Order: sequence, then C-alpha cells, then structure tokens
Amino acid sequence: MKVRTDILRMYKEIHGWVGIVSGLALFIAFFAGAVTMFEEPIQRWASPPTSLSAPVPLERAPELVEAVLAAHPEAARSYDVHLETGPENPARVTWSQGSRRDPQVFLAALAPDGTLEVERQAASPVAQFIDMLHQQVGLPFAHEVAMPIMGAISLLYFIALASGVIVLLPSLVSDFFAVRVGKNAKRMWLDVHNVLGIVSLPFHVIMALTAVVFAFHDEFYDLQGAAFMDRGAPRAQMAPPAPPPPRAQGPELLTPAELAQRIESQAPGFTLRAITYHTGREGEPQARISGYDPRFGLRGPTFGMVEADPVTGALTDTTYMPGLQDAWGATITSFFALHFGSFGGAPIRWSYFLLGLAGAMLFYTGNLLWVESRRKRERKAGAVTQTRATRALGALTVGVPLGCVAGISVTLAAAKPLGTEATAGIHSAIYYVVFAGFVAWALVRGAARGAIELVPAAALALLTIPLASLAFLDLHPWSQPLVDAVSVALAASLALTARATRRRTRNGPRDSVWSHPRREAQANTTTHATAPERKPAI
Amino acid sequence: MTPPLTSRNWAGKTAAGLVLGLALAVGVSGLLAALLGVRDSFFSPQGQFTMWIIAPVWCAVLSLCFLFRSGLRAWLWLGLAAAAVWLTLFALGSLS
Repeated sequence: MKVRTDILRMYKEIHGWVGIVSGLALFIAFFAGAVTMFEEPIQRWASPPTSLSAPVPLERAPELVEAVLAAHPEAARSYDVHLETGPENPARVTWSQGSRRDPQVFLAALAPDGTLEVERQAASPVAQFIDMLHQQVGLPFAHEVAMPIMGAISLLYFIALASGVIVLLPSLVSDFFAVRVGKNAKRMWLDVHNVLGIVSLPFHVIMALTAVVFAFHDEFYDLQGAAFMDRGAPRAQMAPPAPPPPRAQGPELLTPAELAQRIESQAPGFTLRAITYHTGREGEPQARISGYDPRFGLRGPTFGMVEADPVTGALTDTTYMPGLQDAWGATITSFFALHFGSFGGAPIRWSYFLLGLAGAMLFYTGNLLWVESRRKRERKAGAVTQTRATRALGALTVGVPLGCVAGISVTLAAAKPLGTEATAGIHSAIYYVVFAGFVAWALVRGAARGAIELVPAAALALLTIPLASLAFLDLHPWSQPLVDAVSVALAASLALTARATRRRTRNGPRDSVWSHPRREAQANTTTHATAPERKPAI
Repeated sequence: MTPPLTSRNWAGKTAAGLVLGLALAVGVSGLLAALLGVRDSFFSPQGQFTMWIIAPVWCAVLSLCFLFRSGLRAWLWLGLAAAAVWLTLFALGSLS
C-alpha cells in the first residue's frame, strides 16, 4: 500500500517519541499484567496455612452464620458464605469491616466442639500488590495520582499503535513473515518488533482503549453528567444501606445450600463461588452471588455476578450474570472480559499470559531500536561518542525491565518466609528496593556491562520462587507446581538471553551502547579499556 | 504544491487533539445517548456504553490530528466539528 513519504516520515518520528516516553512504563504494566493472569494460583501459592479448623460443610453454614452474628452483630450488615474454599480462602464464612480500599477481613470457623473461631484474614496480599503495580504502570504513588499518569501513557500507547501501523503499511506484505536473523542486528530487532506488533495488534488496541477508560471513567462520567445526563442519582444510591432489622423479625432466609440449588436450577452451567448476604436500601435482605461460567465472558477478573432474593431464590438483577445478560450487558461485559482475559477458561488465560509477555517484548525491542537509531543519527551528525541521553536511555532499557522482573520475583518469593506477617506495604518495599537497585546498577555500569551482570541476576531472582517453595515446605504444603514451573521456565529463557548478550557486547559494533569488548582483544588497539564506548567504529 | 507534513509542529496539533478531541468525543457520546434515549450513564448498560464510546473517538482524533498541516488548522477544523456536534445536542434539547 502506498502512503505519501512525508506522512510516513512524520509518523515514524511520532512513533519513536511516543514509544520512548511510554515504553518502559508499558513494559512494567504488561509484565505485571501477564503475571496477574495467574492471580488465583499465586494467591494459593503464597497464602500461609491457617490455624482455623477445617471449613464446615455447606449444610452446616447456617449454624456458623448464627454463631458469627451472635458474637459479632456488626457482621449482619454484610457477610459472605463461600462455596469454594482453599488455601487463599480457608473459611466458610467471612465478613469485612473498614473502608472498601482498606478492608479488614475476618474469617470464621467452628471448632470440632462447636465453638466459634475467628481470625484476621491471612490470605497473602502479594497478588493484589502485583495487580496494583499493573494498574499503576509501576508508579509508587497514591492511586489518585497514578491513574491520570497511567491514562496519559495509555493515550501515548494508542498513538504509538496507530502510527506504527501507518509506518508499516507500505512494507506490510513483504515484511510480514520475514525475520532476518543475520549480521544486521537492528534489522532483526525491527523485524521482531514488527511481527510482534502486527500479530498482536487487536490485543493491543483492546488494551489501549480499555486502559484509557479505566484511567478516566470518573472524569468521563462527570463530563457526561455535567452536559446531558441526569445528575444526583449515582451518589445518592451509593449511600450506605439502612441497618438490617433484627433477624428474628426479618423474613425466613433460604439456607446457602438451598439458595445455591435454586440459582443452579435457573442458570445451569454457572458455578457458584460465594454468596454475599447484605441489605437493600429499604432494609430488605439481598444476596449477591459471584461465580463463573467458562462459556461466557465475565465482568470481573475471575467472576461474574448476579443479584438474587435470598427469601425466594429468584434472580433479581442479571445485568452482570454470564449467559443471562441482555445484549447491552453482554457488550459492556465483553469490554472487561477482553481486558481481563476472563473468558474461555485456561486456554485464554495462557494466551493472555503469552500475549502479555509478547507485549512486554514489543516495548523492549522498541526501546532497543530507538537507542540504536539515535546512535546512527548521532554518528551521521559527526559525534563519535554516545551522548549522555542515549547512554542513560540504554541503561534504563536494561535496568527497568530486568528490575521489574526481579522485583516481582523476589517480593513474590518473600511471601513464604513472611507468612502471616506479610502486608502490602512490606511487599511494596521489597519490590521497590530490588527495582531501584537494578536501575541504579544499570545506570552506574552502563547498558552493556549492566546487561551482562543484571540478566543473570534477574534469572537468579526468578529462581528464588521455587527455592522459597522448597525451603518452606514444612510450613507451606507444596500445592501450586505451576507457579514454580513458570518461574523456572522464565529463568531459563533469561539464561539463554545472558549468553546472547555476552556475545553481542563482545562482537557487536564498538560504538554501540551495547559494546563492551573483551579486554585482551582490545589491549593492542586502545588504552581506554575501561571506556570502550569512546572508540568509534571503523 | 503544498509543503510536506512534518512532526516539528506537533505541540499545537497535539493540544487540539487532546482538548477538542475530548470535546468531540464527549459530544458524540451525547448524540449516542440521545439516540438510545438514556439519561443516566452510570447504572444502565446503555449509559455505560455511551461512556465507553468516548475512548475510541478521542484516541482516533489524537492519532490522526497530525495529518493537519498546522496547529492552527487543527484547532479550526476540530473546533468546527466539535461545535457542530454540540450545536446538534443543543438543538435536540439534550443539554441539561
């Protein structure tokens, strides 16, 4: 396809600049996002075993609820009965207090002698921390500060996609299946970058558009409300519901087992996960049911929702109920499901994991290309050494992605020794110490030497995950081989990268930021053995 | 012969794309809301759909605004488009 050359040149420059500004943040968002595809296995892997008694069978849930409400009447406002229990959620009944942002969750169980046991939530916060890292593109700021920045980066990301496609249009057919591996490393990286970008373009368009909405939906709703929507209703409806009437006066509720049975008969194929009992605005009892159905997209990252009447078992609001929504509800749900990968079960989870890693590679290769192009342009302009900006960007291109991989690995591994002491704050501190260490090391040592040293370091960081599994085997029973296996696979691919990196720094162009020739090969040509970047290539 | 396009005058074009692109996108979502007859964007899925429409329109304008020859032209044309959309909304009696 023919495109005017001035348009091509213009969009090529725009692509480069929006890419370099947003690339490193997008790497973090994509790597952390790929990891959150396995949020549930990670939570199971990381959560320490509970000291609570085994959950009572679902049939005995009413007895447990009775005991909880007698001892903790505040739980009557809203409590959950879990149909699925496991290491990350070891109790049949839970309730939470405090704000929605910082809830305190309490778990309840019955001891063998029938007495009530209550424990503060012991599920590991590490999966949630990684999800936060993903949502805030790695920025350690308050949510309100990080979200507009994430939104701006998402806009740049979309411009990068559009401009990248325009630039590629003329050579799309001839370049599509060509990955030229050979002497010209830049050509090879460009081919890889193009193939990754074109093959996963629909995925990236979805991610960019949904991320813009996730960042700015409050502002969008406010603008719409100020201009042409009826205002007032949303905030009023969000007022806390009336306190529940004393239980004795309320209508007789179905038991959780009966309610689950009635839901299942109305929605065959839907697997219930939990029932939240709460009260409506008029004090009437309501039940929110969460669960999943792999045949349909889910509104939440791992679950869909339906409102039901806990007295009759009738479904009252099916807007977010997989399979029972109207066309509009299903359309809105599809936007979320396409971002979360919450449709189609395990094959889609794995595809999204690989697409997420491929996306991270897209941004990494994009940064490499930018640094290489700068070098060539600066050489043409007469400079024989790399400018400070190019050297710093080269170092960040090494330090930020590897620091992100290593930081996530170490903070995840730390969940095992931390056990019940773990908090989101501790996990955050561990991540940022490792991340900052990698970035600082890369800046001090330069891209080439930094890469030789940091790639193996990141591989070792990944190996701390299976090591933590082994070291704490007696405290944490081993249950999630997937988490350990994926860590080992990623570490192995980094080990292969380390070999290629060493070769490149020795044999690649000397004036590249990636150059760090072997000392003995250099001894007779230069006295600047410690500053090889200063030597121009011939 | 018109002068070739360049990325040098990006600031004016980008500003037009950001500000007027958003104005245009919110206006388009208002037209859609009028078409669907929704007055509440938060609690009905139709209303949420009109909110979702803002992102693709805004992103498209922001990506293509560089095709204007200058920042001034970008502000002029996008301003005209946004004015047309918002005047239509006004004529429809949708504005609150």
